[in-house]
Amino acid sequence: SPLSPQTRAARVRAGKGDKMVTYEQAHAPHYIGHRKGWLSLHTGNLCGEAGAAQRALEDAFLRRFLAGTFPGLLLDEPVLKRRGNLLVLCALLGRALPPHKLYFLQGYCETLLGHFYKCPVRLELQTLPARLPYKFI
Amino acid sequence: TLMGARLAASHGDRQEPKTNPLVSISDEPETLYKRLSILVKGHDRAVLDSYEYFAVLAAKELGISIEKVDKPPKTIERFTLLKSVHIYKKHRVQYEMRTHYMCLELKYLTSSTAAVYLEYVQRNLPEGVAMEVKKTKIEKIPEHIQKPVWDTLPQVEETEVKS
Repeated sequence: SPLSPQTRAARVRAGKGDKMVTYEQAHAPHYIGHRKGWLSLHTGNLCGEAGAAQRALEDAFLRRFLAGTFPGLLLDEPVLKRRGNLLVLCALLGRALPPHKLYFLQGYCETLLGHFYKCPVRLELQTLPARLPYKFI
Repeated sequence: TLMGARLAASHGDRQEPKTNPLVSISDEPETLYKRLSILVKGHDRAVLDSYEYFAVLAAKELGISIEKVDKPPKTIERFTLLKSVHIYKKHRVQYEMRTHYMCLELKYLTSSTAAVYLEYVQRNLPEGVAMEVKKTKIEKIPEHIQKPVWDTLPQVEETEVKS
């Protein structure tokens, strides 16, 4: 069967008007750099810099790890930043868990990931009541 | 009583001179740099612009003279891949990676000034931005080259060779 002429990568298809979509989800990947920012910031993809594949693998593992330690709480994709040796994970969470449990999970993530990757890891959490709607498709 | 306390404190300061452990004073002559060239690379032009403002402000505050701020054109690395896993050679997907550059050239620095400025500027490097530094040293001409060779050779009598 022939391929459909439309690309389906990272795009939310139009529905009846009841599907809530965040700013991140509403914009297609060709808007990155114009209307969207980057979710993972490192120097591996610059001209003349090495280590892109290792960073990509680390990013994939970190996103799965965060999705597993905060099940159902992550509102949007976490933003990963690398400054020198330091790894900063910025995540938006919902308010389902009480604060002392969130602090425990934050410390657990930081120590465990620090031992895995042998570098200082900082987890910056922010809680919101719900996901911010940008459009209703 | 307050005035007496202040006088006593000032006497105490004079008896024990404060030496900052972070400041080191050495008698070696400092290496001089003619030019310090900092090339900053990033994916986002806006991030590089704000970093340029920050670096130029830091240089001005420290009294370092800026030679020029150059913005070379961006390089785009593109590759074209097959869209499908199995066949469909005619349907492809194109990805590109854009690298923006910003070159900051500072002139006439000493090694300690360069060390301080580079440390400050590198600690505040934003994520996703890479930096390359090139230093041009000024050295004294070594002694054996200072005078031209033809001045020091003993005078040789020219003998005309008639063929």
